Amino acid sequence: MSQILPPDVVLKVDDLSIVYRTDRGDVKATVDVSFELKSGEAMALIGESGSGKTTISLALIRKLPKNAVVTSGEIFYQRNDSVQDVLKLSNRQLREFRWNECAMVFQGAQNAFNPVLKIRKQFEDTAQSHGWTDKAAIRERALSLLQLVRLDPERVYEAYPHELSGGMKQRILLALSVLLSPQVVILDEPTTALDILTQRAIIDVLNDMQRQLNFSIIFISHDLSLAAEMADHVATVYAGQIVELGGVNDIFYHSLHPYTQGLLTSVPTLEHTQDLLQSIPGSPPNLIAPPDGCKFHPRCAFADDACKKDSPPLTVDVGAHLAACWHKDRLIESRKASV
Amino acid sequence: MESRSLNARPVTPGYNKIIDAIRKALKNYTVRVFVQAILTIWAVATLTFLLVREMPGNPIDVLIEQILTQEGISYQEAYDRVAASFNFDPNASVLDLYLDWLTDLLRFDLGTSITSPGTEVIDEIARFLPWTVFAVGMGLLISFVLGIILGMTMAYYRNSFLDHSLSLLSSFMTGVPNYIWGLLIIIVLGIQLNLFNVGELRGTYDISLVPGLNAAFVLSVFKHAALPIATYVIATLGGWMLNMKSSTMGVLNEDYVNVAEARGLKDNRIITSYVGRNAALPLFTQLTIAVGFVLGSGVVIEEIFVYWGIGHYLFQAITVRDYTSMQGVFLILTMAVVFSNLFADLTYGLLDPRVRVSGER
Amino acid sequence: MACWIRAFVFQASDDMDIQTAPNPLIAILSIPWAILRGAFRFVGRLRANTSGMIGFIGLVAYFIFTFILPRFIEFDNEPNLDEIVGPIGSRIQLAVHQDNAQLVTFEDLAGKTVGVVDQTGGPDLIAPYADTLTIEKYRWTSRRAGPGLEASLIDLANKEIDALLVFSKTVTELIHNQENPELRALFDDNIVISNPALGPPHLLGTDTQGRDIATHVVHGGRVLILTALIGGVISTVIALFLGSIAALTGGVLDSALTALTNLILAIPRFPLLVVMAGLIRFDNTLYLGVLIGLLGWPPLMRAIRSQVLSLRERDFVEVARSLGLSTNHIMFREILPNMISYVMINFIFSITFAMYEQIGLVVLGLAPINDYTWGVMLYFGRSRGTLYNPDGASMALSPVLAIAFFQVCLVLFARALEEIFDPRLRAAV
Repeated sequence: MSQILPPDVVLKVDDLSIVYRTDRGDVKATVDVSFELKSGEAMALIGESGSGKTTISLALIRKLPKNAVVTSGEIFYQRNDSVQDVLKLSNRQLREFRWNECAMVFQGAQNAFNPVLKIRKQFEDTAQSHGWTDKAAIRERALSLLQLVRLDPERVYEAYPHELSGGMKQRILLALSVLLSPQVVILDEPTTALDILTQRAIIDVLNDMQRQLNFSIIFISHDLSLAAEMADHVATVYAGQIVELGGVNDIFYHSLHPYTQGLLTSVPTLEHTQDLLQSIPGSPPNLIAPPDGCKFHPRCAFADDACKKDSPPLTVDVGAHLAACWHKDRLIESRKASV
Repeated sequence: MESRSLNARPVTPGYNKIIDAIRKALKNYTVRVFVQAILTIWAVATLTFLLVREMPGNPIDVLIEQILTQEGISYQEAYDRVAASFNFDPNASVLDLYLDWLTDLLRFDLGTSITSPGTEVIDEIARFLPWTVFAVGMGLLISFVLGIILGMTMAYYRNSFLDHSLSLLSSFMTGVPNYIWGLLIIIVLGIQLNLFNVGELRGTYDISLVPGLNAAFVLSVFKHAALPIATYVIATLGGWMLNMKSSTMGVLNEDYVNVAEARGLKDNRIITSYVGRNAALPLFTQLTIAVGFVLGSGVVIEEIFVYWGIGHYLFQAITVRDYTSMQGVFLILTMAVVFSNLFADLTYGLLDPRVRVSGER
Repeated sequence: MACWIRAFVFQASDDMDIQTAPNPLIAILSIPWAILRGAFRFVGRLRANTSGMIGFIGLVAYFIFTFILPRFIEFDNEPNLDEIVGPIGSRIQLAVHQDNAQLVTFEDLAGKTVGVVDQTGGPDLIAPYADTLTIEKYRWTSRRAGPGLEASLIDLANKEIDALLVFSKTVTELIHNQENPELRALFDDNIVISNPALGPPHLLGTDTQGRDIATHVVHGGRVLILTALIGGVISTVIALFLGSIAALTGGVLDSALTALTNLILAIPRFPLLVVMAGLIRFDNTLYLGVLIGLLGWPPLMRAIRSQVLSLRERDFVEVARSLGLSTNHIMFREILPNMISYVMINFIFSITFAMYEQIGLVVLGLAPINDYTWGVMLYFGRSRGTLYNPDGASMALSPVLAIAFFQVCLVLFARALEEIFDPRLRAAV
C-alpha cells in the first residue's frame, strides 16, 4: 500500500461517500467524509438521528446494510507501520480485521448476546475465530476484563445472557470488545436505554479501560454532555457531512458552525437556565434530494443567498479547528453579543 | 360490564393454605408437566369409557342386539357374554365399572379382543405399535432435518428464484393431504411408471425372512417402510421449511447475529450456533404437535400402503367392530402423543436455557 | 356473523367516522359500499402477490366448477358394460363394412340397418334416430366383451348389418388386438371405422361401471366443500367465542377453558374421528362436518386467546378502557376489527383441515358414501382396485388432483392473506 500515515494515526478516512439504494431514490447517507483518528484518542461524532453518524461507523467495519454502496473514498487502517485499506479487504481479511483491529459496541446491548450460549462460550467463540486456541488463556483474559468493567467475573462468565441485567450486558459487551486488544473501539450510543446511574457507571468504566488499555475510541452520541466528558476531538455531522471538526474545547466553547451552536443551545447546562434553551427550527433535510448549497441553510439563522448557492468548504481558521460555514464571523459576533 | 372487570381475579377465601401449597408445587415446571400429562390420560380414559359404554347406540347395546338376533338366546345371557369379552362384571354399577376400567388400565390390562377371543389387546398393540413408531419417527426425523436446512437456505437467499420455487413447493406439500400424496405415489410411480411393485411392498417386512439383526431383514424392513416414510416426509416437509424460513428471518434481524458478524466469527459458527440453533428452537415445540398429527393420520397412510402398524390394526378393529381393540388402540395413541409432549416439555430446557431457569431452579 | 361484517366494514373504511350517528339510510348503504371498496382494495393488493392471485382465481374457478357447472352437466349414472374403465377421451365410434365407408353420420344411416348392443352406450345414442333406420339389437352376455359383441362384429364383417355402434375401447380390444387369428383376418379385411367421433367423448374416461368420470368430478365437489365449510365455520365460531371469552374474562373461566383446550389438543384428532365415525356410522355427510367442526376448534381458540390478550394490552385498547367504554364495545369495535384478517386466515386453514379429515374418513369407508363426491370416487377407486389398474388411472387420479388443487388453492390464498396482512400474526398450528 502506497499510503504512508504518520506513525500515531491508526485510522484515516478519506472522502468517504455512501449512498443507500432505495425504491424512492438514492439516499446520500455520507458525503465526502474525511477525518483522522490518532492512537489513544477519543473522537465523538455528534448530530441528530439520521444524520449519518452510524453509517460512518458501520463503514469502518464494513457492516453496512446490503443496499448501501460506497461511491468514493478510502479507509486506511495502520498497525505496526503497515497500512491497509479497509474497503479493499477480502472477505477473509475482513473477518480477521473485525474485532481484532476494530471492535464495535452496538446500540442497545440488550440483545447483543446469543440467548442460548453462556457468556463464556461467546468469549471463546470470539477468541477462537481469531486464532486463539488455549481456553485457559481466554478465560484468564476474559476474567481480568470483566473485573475491569466492575463485574463479578466468575459468576458472569458462566451465566446465560437472560440472567443478566441490561447494564451488566452493556459492560460485558465493553469487556468483550477489547478482548482481542483492538486499536479502535467504536461505541454507538453506548448509554442510551440505560438508567442514569448505570450510564454513569459505564462512563467511568470506559474511562478506566481506555486509560489502562490505551485504545482509540470513536464515539457516537446525541448526548452532548457525554461527548464533552469522553472525547478529545468532536466532529459534528449534519446531513451526511462533517460540518465541524475540532478539539473538544474548541467545539463546545468556540463553535464555528451554527448547527453545532444550535445543538449546544438545545441542551441544558449548569450555566444556562431552562428558558434560554432553544431547539433548532425545522427538521433534518431529505437526503434523497438534499438542498443546494449549504445543506443547513433552510434551518440557519445566518443563511443568505451565498449559502443557498454554494456549499462552504471545511476549512481551518485557528489551529486544527475546521468548520464548513460562510458566516463564522457573524456567528462569533452574535455569541459575543449574547454573553 | 365495568371495564375494570377485564382484569378481575377470583377472590380466594379460606382455602388459601391448601391452594397455596398446590400452587407452590405446580410452580415447579416438572411437577406441573407431569400432573398435566396424567390428568390428560385420565380424561381420555374416561372419555373412551363413556364413548364405548354410555353413548346412544353404544357398542355394548349394539353387540347384545347382534347376539340376540343371531343366536336367539336370552338378554341376560347375551349381556353376560358381552360383559365377559369387555372384561367387566355385568352386575356392577356404572361407577364400579368405571373404577374397574381405571384399575385395569393401571395394570395395562386393556381387555381381550372381541372378535378373536383370548387375544390380549395389549399384546396386539405391542405387536403393531413399534412399526408405526419406526415409520412415523423416521419420517418426522428426515423431514425435520431437511426442513431446517431448506428453510434456512430460503431465508438466506430470500426473494431469489430458489426461495420462490421452494415456497411454492412447500404450499403444495402442506396443502395436499398426506393420503393424497400416498395415492399419487402409488398411482404415478408404482402403477403408471412401474418403478416398484406395490403389491410386494405390503406388510412391514418380507414374511419369508426370519426377523433378526441381519442385513436382508433390515433391508426388507426399510424397503417396506419406505413408501409410508416418503409420504410422511413429503406431507410434513413444507411446514417445516416455511416455519424455519420465517423463524430464521426473524433471527437474522436479531442484534446478536449482527454483533456476531462484527465479532468476526466464522460463517459456519454463525450459521449453526447463532442463527440455526435459535431459529430451530420454536420448531421443537411444533414437533410435538406434528407427532400427534402424523401418528393420527397414520391410520389412512398405513391403510393405503397396507403397512401393518397400529393404524392398520385400528382400522381392522373398526371394520369388524372389535370395540375393545378400538378403545385400547385409541387410548394408546393418545398416551403416545401425551408422552411425546411430556418428553418434549422436559427436554426443551436442554435446548433453551431461558426455560430451564423457570423450571429446575 | 353480523359482528364480523360490521368489523370488516370498520376496518375497510378508515375514514368513516364511528362516533357521529349519520342518517340511518346512509349508514345502511355505506355497509355494502365499504365492503365493496374493501374488496377492491384487497384484490388490488393481492395482484402484487402472484401465488396468492393464482390461489384466488383457482378458488373462484372451483366455485364455478362445483356449484354452477353441475346445473348444466348431468350426473352420469348409467352403467355401460362396454365402457368399463374406459381410458381418457374414449367414445362411441361408427364401424362399417369397408364397402360402406361413405356412411359417416346418422343422416347417412337413414334407411340402413344399424347394430347396437344392449346395456351399452349405443342404444341411448341411437334412440333419437329410431324412426329413420332399422335397429338390430344384440345381447350383451355375462362375459366381458363376450360373444354378443363379437357376433355383432362378425355380422358387420359379413355385411348382415350396414353399420355398428361400438365403443372405442372395444374397437382396440376386439378389432385391432383380436387374439383369434380367423376373426382377426375377418375383421381386418372388412371392418373400418368410418366415424371415430360419433358419440360425445368421455373427457376423463369411464369408471368401473362405464359411467363418465368427468361428470362425476363436476358433481363431486359440492357436498365436500359444503361439509368443509360447515366444519370450518363451526370451529372458527367456537374458537372465536371461547377464545375471546377466556381472554377477556380471565380468572377461573380462563383457566378452565384453557385446560379444556389443552386436553382436546392432546387427543389425536383423526383417530378420535375415526373411532367416533366407526361408532356412530353417519348417514349424512353434513353431520360429519358438524362433528369435525366440534372437534376442530382448540388450536385456533388458543391462538385467538393469545391474540386478544396481546391486543388488550395495546395502546388503543388501553385508551378505550380508560374512557370507560364497555367490554362489548372494546371487543367488537376495538379488538375484533384488528383480528378479522387473522381469523379469516385461520378460517381458511380450518377448511383445509376439515377437508382433510372428511376425505380421510371417506377413503377409509367410514363416512357416508351416498353422495358421490371426490372422496367416494377415491374410495371406489381403491376398493374396486382401479388404483392398481394401469388403464384406470383416471378414476383415481381425477379426484386426487381435484382435491389436491383445491387444497393448494386454499393454502396459497391463505398464505397470500398472511403476507398482505400482518405476517407476524401467524398461528403456530
